Amino acid sequence: MMRVILTLFIFISVIFFPWPLTAVVTIISSLYLPFLPFAIGIFADTLYYTPQTSFIPFLTIFGAIMTCAAILVRSRLKTSIIRG
Amino acid sequence: MKRTFLAKRNALLSSTDISWDVAALACVIIILLVRIIAPYFFWYVFTPVFRVSDALTEKSQSFINSFGDTAALASKNEQLANENAALAVENKTLSKKLSDISSLSISPMSSIGILAGVVASPPESPYDTLVVDAGKDKGVTLGMEAFGAGGVPVGVVSSVLDDFSRITLISAPGTDTVGWVGQSNLSLTIFGVGGGAMNATVARSANIVEGDTVFVPGPGMLPVGTVTRVDKDPSSPSVTLRIQPALNLFSIPWVLLRDTGAALTISATSTTI
Repeated sequence: MMRVILTLFIFISVIFFPWPLTAVVTIISSLYLPFLPFAIGIFADTLYYTPQTSFIPFLTIFGAIMTCAAILVRSRLKTSIIRG
Repeated sequence: MKRTFLAKRNALLSSTDISWDVAALACVIIILLVRIIAPYFFWYVFTPVFRVSDALTEKSQSFINSFGDTAALASKNEQLANENAALAVENKTLSKKLSDISSLSISPMSSIGILAGVVASPPESPYDTLVVDAGKDKGVTLGMEAFGAGGVPVGVVSSVLDDFSRITLISAPGTDTVGWVGQSNLSLTIFGVGGGAMNATVARSANIVEGDTVFVPGPGMLPVGTVTRVDKDPSSPSVTLRIQPALNLFSIPWVLLRDTGAALTISATSTTI
């Protein structure tokens, strides 16, 4: 249930709150929801990306990088003797 | 024999952990496709959301600023208190001067004027006239000039009753006012054309441009309006100036009536209120 609330809160924060708050909460939540940064990145670029200002959709790329990092960390934790 | 079932685990991905973020990712991809395929529908849906966001942001900013600007508010409060003290001293000084003038048997009303509240202004009153709540009882006479805020002349008293007066604005049709315009104080006659607007005709060679201030005589040169447009006809040696009054003549809350020697020439017909 907490993950549902956390996911909804982050999506709402993309629209209603400053982006640093969204970024911090997304990074923290990526430990539990690894694909969420990628989803948030795509969502933010869906709302705010304009090709005229930047050719590269940075938010999606940052989200993808964060997702890869989260998956890597989770994999290392799960295969080690230290349980995540 | 008891068998132990061990769930198959993927070291990289676990379905129990990634379900919600994968669902969110799927939803976001659908939203992205909607934006790409039907952008108008997308913005039609999200525009109200952004408006709510803007409203919340504005309110939260003002709420936060109410705490953050405490020092600035205290500083401004102190500054206003100082200004208030200075104005109180100035007020005492002016009161003393007024009492001195009164002791010389000079009517202060003649130098200050009669303050009159505007009872009716267009469109309630006839076009380009004001009805004010001062009449013969307060010493209003025909031909007194009416001044708005900042000493801007707005018209001339054209009709007087016991308790009320009517002021014909300088923009009333048929009202001619002598004045000056431009850097070189070019003399001109200002014609009221109604609707709070005035015109004047000057020679093309005078080089009057938009933004030049138009003055009329009074106690000194009184700004009455600004040239907002210069209409030029290639076949005419003169140009027509479109003059916007310095005050919005239709929303004046009060006027000051003074007898200035009827400097303004008014030719408007006099009617009863």
